Order: sequence, then structure tokens, then C-alpha cells
Amino acid sequence: MALAMHDGSRRMVGNRVLLTLLIAAVAGAALLPFANLSPNRLVSGQPVMLWQALSAWQLGGLTLIGLALLLAALSQPLGGRASSRLALIATLPLLALDFYALGDYAHRALVDASPAARVSQGATFWILLFVCALIAIDALQRLRLGLARRALYGLAALAIVIACFAGELLAPLSIMREFANQRDNFLDQLVRHLLLVAGALVPALVVGLPLGLLARRRERLRNGLFSVLNVFQTLPSIAVFGLLIAPLAALGKALPWLGDLGIGGIGAAPAIIALVLYSLLPIVRNTYSGLAGVPGATLEAARGMGMTPRQILWRVEIPLALPVILSGLRIVTVQAIGLTVVAALIGAGGFGAFIFQGLGQYAIDLVLLGAVPTIVLAVVADFALRLLVALSRPADAR
Amino acid sequence: MIELKGLTKTYAGKRVVDDISLTLESGEFGVLIGPSGCGKSTTLKMINRLVPLSGGRIVLNGDDVTDLPAEQLRRRIGYAIQSTGLFPHWTVAQNIATVPQLLKWPKSRIDDRVDELMAMFHLDPVEFRHQYPHRLSGGQAQRVGVARALAADPEVLLMDEPFGAVDPLTREVLQAEMKRVHQQTGKTIVFVTHDMDEALQLATRIALLNHGRLVQYDRPIEMMVTPADDFVREFIGQADLGLKLLSRRWVHQYQRAPSLEHHATLPGLDHCWQLDDAGRPIALEGARLDDDSERTEVKPEWTATPEMSMKEALSRMVWYRVMVLPVIDDQGRLIGEVGMQGIMGIQAANGMPAS
Repeated sequence: MALAMHDGSRRMVGNRVLLTLLIAAVAGAALLPFANLSPNRLVSGQPVMLWQALSAWQLGGLTLIGLALLLAALSQPLGGRASSRLALIATLPLLALDFYALGDYAHRALVDASPAARVSQGATFWILLFVCALIAIDALQRLRLGLARRALYGLAALAIVIACFAGELLAPLSIMREFANQRDNFLDQLVRHLLLVAGALVPALVVGLPLGLLARRRERLRNGLFSVLNVFQTLPSIAVFGLLIAPLAALGKALPWLGDLGIGGIGAAPAIIALVLYSLLPIVRNTYSGLAGVPGATLEAARGMGMTPRQILWRVEIPLALPVILSGLRIVTVQAIGLTVVAALIGAGGFGAFIFQGLGQYAIDLVLLGAVPTIVLAVVADFALRLLVALSRPADAR
Repeated sequence: MIELKGLTKTYAGKRVVDDISLTLESGEFGVLIGPSGCGKSTTLKMINRLVPLSGGRIVLNGDDVTDLPAEQLRRRIGYAIQSTGLFPHWTVAQNIATVPQLLKWPKSRIDDRVDELMAMFHLDPVEFRHQYPHRLSGGQAQRVGVARALAADPEVLLMDEPFGAVDPLTREVLQAEMKRVHQQTGKTIVFVTHDMDEALQLATRIALLNHGRLVQYDRPIEMMVTPADDFVREFIGQADLGLKLLSRRWVHQYQRAPSLEHHATLPGLDHCWQLDDAGRPIALEGARLDDDSERTEVKPEWTATPEMSMKEALSRMVWYRVMVLPVIDDQGRLIGEVGMQGIMGIQAANGMPAS
């Protein structure tokens, strides 16, 4: 460590990742539009570059943030930790400014325009957002902050985003006007999306956890079980949805009471069945490896102390396997949130409905109205489950 | 009291433990020893039924162990193993409290017991109570493992090569502590090892196993003096048999009254101790090999205590080139002396074979 820092002090650049991201952001801002202004929602508009869209103080602020990040990327005068801390803190005003400048521009641009005119975000807006996220991830990794501080940073970023959406700031944006048009529908689809994910995860856990335990207890069953589950994993999701239509439609017709419950070739039933099948392998595999990772000596001691098999399972095996099991749940949750989008194709609903509707109408902002919340859901779920994984480790191993 | 009666274990037609019968009285420290694969660990694990019996019986204080539910039996028997098997997600205190928890002791009683055991094993409660096992050194982890095994005051303590994985220095300290704990608690202990020096140091009874059969079951000294056959003789090792024997003898058995004036005519007594006002030895006249008549200051490095093994006393004589060591009590007062001649004298009196 000391050697690396000594070596680093002779180089000009202390953090190459950060410098690369900065260069990418500057290049993107120079070449790609920050926003688009179009006469109505369907035609593509004219590009508006960053320096055209931002007011003087906003440009000044952005320059200051850029200089701070450049300072953080250099090896002098700040040290390694101080640089990373500066970079991490600078992401928060960058995030706020990115949103604020876009909303502010939309307000100004639409004052004299026709009611049908639209402002939408351009490539540079997204680039700044992604660069912001990548800088934060890089800085968080370098700083190795404790659980509480990581959570605090995540909440601060989340608060900024929520504050931007809460007021009227972003209301004139095209995507927000699509949202306003679809407001009731949006909430419905959000709930539907979440219900589909939960509807898949609960049965997957109910089946997967015991299967993982079974694989651990009967090692002979393990290989067969894993190969069967592997087959599901390799099938393309659209194909599975398609394959399920015929048998489920037949089942719904043959047994009308099942049909009354909503089981048919299209809709939620095939979607949930497919999602459960995809979720099983990660859950079973992680449950198995979590349990298999419990040291043999620990189990021998537990038996030797006089614990019953049930006590060994609940007091020793499950607590020790929990971080690995929850990692499996994290993978499956993020995967299910994404796959549920495709399920809209067979009429299951969810955010995918906006995406396919938007694709059909060639209304890009409607597509984004489905895509962006899906990404946000996935990121939030990932973050929350990572916290859970960390919490499930012994207190001083976090 | 533990009785093994015709104990047998068969794996795939092979008898790994073959018709072993022996009785270990309450309060004894029994050591099962033998080359690897001799069945010593299997025998131990049949006592708490981690390994099911194929034949024979084990009677623990009058109860056949197969009459009890396995879990209930195991809560009556302490168990410590080489890799400690501490629960990594529990603190030291929680680990020690494992069996009392299973037995549903009230919390205050568990807390008191944990404190008592931590004191017995010299683990500072402030530092270690809430520590997790991966922060402990090998020696500390092993102490916690033994403390956990003793937590519910079991009738018997089983130990499966508990000090096999720690460094030699720590092992010696742990052996000394184990000996002290055995004397303090009077527990019946069954201890598995492959290290003869460890067995001689700790055991009151040694059972030597080979190919699943009991070769000899005896007190340590008898095993050395009257080995049952060539295997026993070979396993004990003949090269330093004299030293091994001395490791089982104690200074208080050899000590004689200190010489406080010169007796130039008597061989072996041509030396004398000078004491201070409190009766502590300060100097030795004579009996040093390099300066026969000069006065030598007594150093703590070459004093002996009554509980010291004669092997250690001899080692000090050789290293510091003195024919005689002062034996002191815990206040440092001279209570006797032990010398080279004394060692030979008692050996001869016991009728030791010359070869």
C-alpha cells in the first residue's frame, strides 16, 4: 500500500478511472445534444447543446464541479482518500444540476412555444447521469465505507432525485407529460409490475429453498436437479412465454374454474410460471452453496454439543448460509424485474406495456416511461438487497 | 466412570475398532493414543454417539449410552475438537453458552457460568466476551473451545486432538492449563492424541491402540517400565526413555533437605547455600562445574519448584552447569534441594533396568 502510494506520487494522475470518465463526459457534452426541442410528440426535434441550454450560472456551476473532479483525479495535492471523498461528494451537486438544468431549460424553452411543443432529454443528459453513477461507484469502492455511510450516501442521492420529481421542475418535459397523461395507468402498471415480481419470487422461494436444502442433504440428487434447472435457464424468455400459451389456454378451457381464476394462455399466469422457472436455479444453487459452505468442524461441534438436526439447521446452517442465499435472492429479484418487461408481450401488463405501446406508436418518450422506472426499480431493489446481505453477516465482518 | 465393553466398529466389512474393553474411573485423565488410523478418534466419537456403535456397549456412570436420546446424552458430555468448531456467527460468550442455552438455563446463571469459565481460562471478559471467533489467536480459540465443552458442567469431557493444530509453544501452555483445569474440576477426561509426550504429560491412564485393537492400557510409568510388546516399546520410543520417565516424576519426590554448611568429606554434599534474612537462597558455594570452589549467585532461571517435572529440573542443571538446584516455595524461600546424584539414586532404588 505504501509502495503504491509512493509510486502514485510520482505520477500526475492519481485516479485514471475518474479522469477517463471526465474526458468521456466532456467529449459527450461537446458532440451530443443535452436536450431536444420538437414541435410535437411524434416528430424528432432539433438538438440543443449543453451551452445553449444552460444559463450562465449553471454553466459556471458545472465548470466548478468539473474542476473539482479533475482535482480529485490528480495525485497532487490531495491524497488518495481525500480525492475519493471529494469525487463522491461532487457527484451530489452534479446529479442535482443535471436534473435542475434540464427542467429549467424546458420551462424557458416552452414559454413562447405552441402547446404541442415538446422538450425531451438528450444524450448528454444521460451521459452526465451515468458518469455521475460510475464516479460514485468507483469512489465508494475506493473508500470502502461502512454500511451506515454507504446507506447515507444512497439516501442523499435518492432524496435529490425525489426532490427534483416532486415539484413542478420537470413537469414540462415530454416524458413527464406522457406520465401526466398516463398517471392512473402508470400507478396501475407499477403495482402490476411489482405484483408480477412478487408473485414469481414468493413461489420460487417456497419451492427453491427446500430444494436447495434437499440438494445439500441428498448429494446424489444434486446433479440431476441442477441440470433440470439449468435447462430452464438456457431457454429464451420469449420462447417460454410462447410455449406456455397453448397448454395454459387448453387448461383454462378444460377446467373452467381455473379459467375463472385468470389462468389462460395469456396474462399473468404464463408470465408468473416462466418467471418462477427462471428464478429457481439461482435460488436453489445459492441455497445449496450457502449450506455447503458451512465448515464441517462447525457442524460436528454443533452435533457434539447436543443440538437436534432442527436446531442445527435454524441456529447454525441458515444463519451462516444467509448471506449467500440473500445474494441469490438479489440476483433473482433484479432478473425478475427485467424479465417482467417482456411479459407485457403476452398481456401480463407492467412497465413493459408502456415500452411496447411506445414502440408501436414510435413515441420514444412513452418507451422511456416504461424503461426508466424499470431501471430505477432494479437499482433500488439491488441496493436494498445488498444492504440486507451486508446486514446478514456477523456484526464485525460487514 | 466410563466402561467400554467389547466395543466394535465396522466400516464396509472392515473392523476399524475391534473389541475394545476398558474402564476409566471418575476423575481420571484417560488418553487414547496410537498411530493414525488406529481407531482412537472413532472410539472417542462412539462415546457421545457421533459415530454409531456396531457392537459392544458403552456405560457412562451406570447408564448405557444407547438408552438415551443422542442429543440428551451429548449435553451431558463435553466435546472439544482440533479445529475448535467455534460458531463463527456467535460471540465468545454465546459460543461458551451453547449447551446451557440448549438446557434452557436462566440467563443470569448462564452469564455467571460464562464469567467463571472465562476466568478459569484466563480470558479477559472485557476484551473477549463480545469478540467473534475469527479475531482470536489459535490458542485463545482453543481455550474458548474447551470452555464451551465444560460450560454445562458435564460428567465427562471428550477431547479429540484439541492441541494438534496450535504451535508448539502455545501447545505447552495449553497442556499446562489443561492439567490445572483437570486438577481444579476433577472431571473425567478422555483425550485423543498421537503425541506420546503430550500423553505422558497429561494422562493418568494411557490406552495404546493399533489396528483397532487395544494393545496396552496402563498408567504412564508402567507403560514405560513394562511395555506389553515391541510395538509399545517402539511407539514410546527408546532413545529418550529416561527423559520421558523423568517427565512423569516431580521435584518433590526427589527433593532433600538443603545443605547449609560444607561437608567436604561427603561426596555430593560439598556445597552450601547462603540465605538472606527471609530465607531465600542468594548464593551457592561449590557444586558448579566451571568454578568449583567459588561463590555463585543464585538466579531464578536455575531454581526449581516442588511441582516441576524432573525432566525440566535436569534440563536446568545441564544448561546452567550446576550439580544441584535450590527448591523454593511460592515466596521464594529455600525449602530443599535437588541434585544430579538424587536422580540416579531414586532410579536405582526403584529397580530400574540398566539397559
